[in-house]
Amino acid sequence: MKAAWFSLALLALSACSTGSGSGGAFSKTWQNDAGASITKLEQRLRSAKRVTDARVAVGVTEKGVVGIGLDGSRRWAAQGTVDVLPAISGNLLVTSGQGRITGRDVRTGKALWQKSARGMALRGAADDGTLTVVVAGTSLNRSRVLTINHEGEAFLDFETSELIGQPAALDGYAFLPWASQYISVLDMKTGAEVARLLLREQVSHAKSYDGDIYFGELGLTRFDKRIGFATSKQGNYLRLPERDLPGKPVWLGSGTERMPAESSARTKIRIYARPVFTGDEVELASDSFAATYFRVAYGLSEKDASLRWVKALPSDVVGGAAASSGFVLCGADGKVWLLGEQGTDAGHVELGDRIEVCAVATGTEPLIATKPPQTLAEQLRSAFEVLEPDMAVAQRFLLSELGKLTDPLVTKLLIDLSSSPRLPPEQRDETRTLLAGRRNGAEYMLSALERHYDFVSGVLLPPPVGPLADALAAMGEKAAAPLLARHLNDPANSALDVKHAAIALRSLASEQELDELRTFFALYRATADSDELVQAVIAVGAALIRIGGDDGRELAQRAARDPLTHPEIRRALTSLLPASSKAPATADKVAPE
Amino acid sequence: MVNIRKLLLILLCLLASPALWPEPALAQKSQKSQKSQKKPALDLENVRKLLKSSEEEQVLSGLELIAKNPEPAAAPLVEELLKAGSSLKALLSAIEVAKTLAQASSSPILAAYVQHRTPDLRRAAAKALISTKGPTAVSALRAALRRNDPELRSIAASGLGSLAAKEAVPDLFLVLSREVPDAASSIGELCSLSECEKFVGYIGRLPFDVMQSGLEPILFRSAHDIPDDFKLSLIERIRKLQTESASELLKTVLARFPEDGSPKVKAALEVAVRNRTRAESGK
Repeated sequence: MKAAWFSLALLALSACSTGSGSGGAFSKTWQNDAGASITKLEQRLRSAKRVTDARVAVGVTEKGVVGIGLDGSRRWAAQGTVDVLPAISGNLLVTSGQGRITGRDVRTGKALWQKSARGMALRGAADDGTLTVVVAGTSLNRSRVLTINHEGEAFLDFETSELIGQPAALDGYAFLPWASQYISVLDMKTGAEVARLLLREQVSHAKSYDGDIYFGELGLTRFDKRIGFATSKQGNYLRLPERDLPGKPVWLGSGTERMPAESSARTKIRIYARPVFTGDEVELASDSFAATYFRVAYGLSEKDASLRWVKALPSDVVGGAAASSGFVLCGADGKVWLLGEQGTDAGHVELGDRIEVCAVATGTEPLIATKPPQTLAEQLRSAFEVLEPDMAVAQRFLLSELGKLTDPLVTKLLIDLSSSPRLPPEQRDETRTLLAGRRNGAEYMLSALERHYDFVSGVLLPPPVGPLADALAAMGEKAAAPLLARHLNDPANSALDVKHAAIALRSLASEQELDELRTFFALYRATADSDELVQAVIAVGAALIRIGGDDGRELAQRAARDPLTHPEIRRALTSLLPASSKAPATADKVAPE
Repeated sequence: MVNIRKLLLILLCLLASPALWPEPALAQKSQKSQKSQKKPALDLENVRKLLKSSEEEQVLSGLELIAKNPEPAAAPLVEELLKAGSSLKALLSAIEVAKTLAQASSSPILAAYVQHRTPDLRRAAAKALISTKGPTAVSALRAALRRNDPELRSIAASGLGSLAAKEAVPDLFLVLSREVPDAASSIGELCSLSECEKFVGYIGRLPFDVMQSGLEPILFRSAHDIPDDFKLSLIERIRKLQTESASELLKTVLARFPEDGSPKVKAALEVAVRNRTRAESGK
């Protein structure tokens, strides 16, 4: 018992704050009020004036920050390196770097105030239109809370050993997530903790979407009339559907770790989503969320994370945001892409410089696409055209999505990809597997089979004959027979492909293919040097017996009796031939004429 | 010593004795008989049976018989064997025999074997087509230029030259710049004036040793085929290269220039070689 009291005392000491105006916040002796204080505050703030965000993109360059309105207006640049991703809230931009925390008008870049960073980097900032709350910190569990007005007059400025995450602000109150489970609401002038919420799920973000406030990390709980029930997980809550995505992107991530200002894989592999309240429940804007994997951006359904759109951009995506409808994504080349909710172009603006990371606020306006959306198959084709082999993870994901589509164009795309040097070999194999399972797009398959290896015209990869043969045979496509028969005798095709072509011909071939079948049979019945070729000869033998009439049967009989014929082929032919014409069990010395 | 002299004398006497030498008529008869022993008439029926055998040894012995006595009448038997298929060894031998028999009727089945997956078989078939000739051979060799076997492409390229397949020159140009150097000599043998001009345009773009094999036959072609004026300008162009290999080419052509060749061309070659020799000795 003594030990327990001693631990509590240590905890209280470690949690103690320094500086002005902490007002006893973050006390660990707080008794859970079952949502009473937060409910009361919500009622009080329900009619408070909400601040909408500016529509801007701010990029971090080597020299400083550049900003531009999403409508292309007012491009500005400010010198001075920054150390972490800037925060945008309302019309305010907060950056940290060179030992200072700076507040700027995000629309113009004009500096409004500056404070010493005291060795800490920005974690987050929020503005209610008049007052701003800034949370900074170190990786050593030190956090600093600063509240300040636009003129630079500070009200609170204290440090604590509690790990405070990204804040939100509304009508003079700062919402501060801490210890992964609490939201403490502080009066931004007095520092008094007016409410506290205990959430039963990890929380390190308080986020404002145009004044609509949410708390969370894995999912988001809305600050509304049901917030009191959030303690028992009955608040209005939103979580993204789970799915294994390329690079395992996260949506919010930890609010206590600000993204560095240098681009990294973490910057480029992200999820962008925006909650909206419909009146009954919290849903995702655009009914979807966007994910990025370097140059690839794709939209996923809110319901089941199925792929809705995909876009390959000219450069890696280093930041962005979901809008009330559509998405904004920043390319490392400084181009800011506006996308409609189907991922279709809704224009773009230029930051005018290469950027490392980017912060975006989208305001309330939807992004309207300027063109009708392409089909998903067409979008995938465009994406594959620009993806390099080093994007194998994204390619694998997109391939798996491609296989789910029934659009006949997918068949063509798979044919093209199966011989694309842009795809690593294992994924070319995957395209072949998908192709073999296709049951539409026969016209594309037949057209592909017209092609042969041709050194002269530079066709240096034969078509995927095997998978095409499987698919066309499954579809009963007789028009494939002459094309497959020609491929039988093309040594540029792999033995595996030849085997599949032969198996398809077993059911598809007609008398018109007899010459090709006979030639193949003669060339390989005694020279087949692989299991695939042996199986191919057996299949062709079966086709000859089926369609070759007496001549075909006689050919098979002779081969079955000839000891020079591959033994496995002999056995198979014997079993295929009608009982009356089967070869004797022992080999004849002279094959009958 | 006396004994040795005696022995030599006896030996000389024996050699001089007419009893040891056959009469002229007898000798002729004996030669004829030896010839007929070497090449007895081919027993086609026996060969047929051997080729139809299911024993590889028998098939090979049948093929050997034809090889020893390559009668064109045996070609259909070899073709039958190829059409029916056999062991690799037997097929290779059959293709060789078909090559020796050099019958155009063998070209279609040999053309099929140019598509075989076994490199040795398809290459042997391509070589055989060069001797069996005919339009089928030309078209099979043209197709072989497009295959994924560099050696086969080389055989086809030079084979098309041997077959004087002028219609294949455009194909030969396509493979010439794509690492099929054998196309050069065939182009040189077959090109029309405009095609020869095009070929000469490759000087400096392709290695000279590749070009050389095509330039040489152009210079040997008749005036009816390629006008002397073109050859004269070609000699001048080669001379201006002023390289050792260019000089060697001109010397080689001059050395082998036919007696009944164009005097103008020969004179130009002589001048070019002489000037080059002077320039070299001047150095």
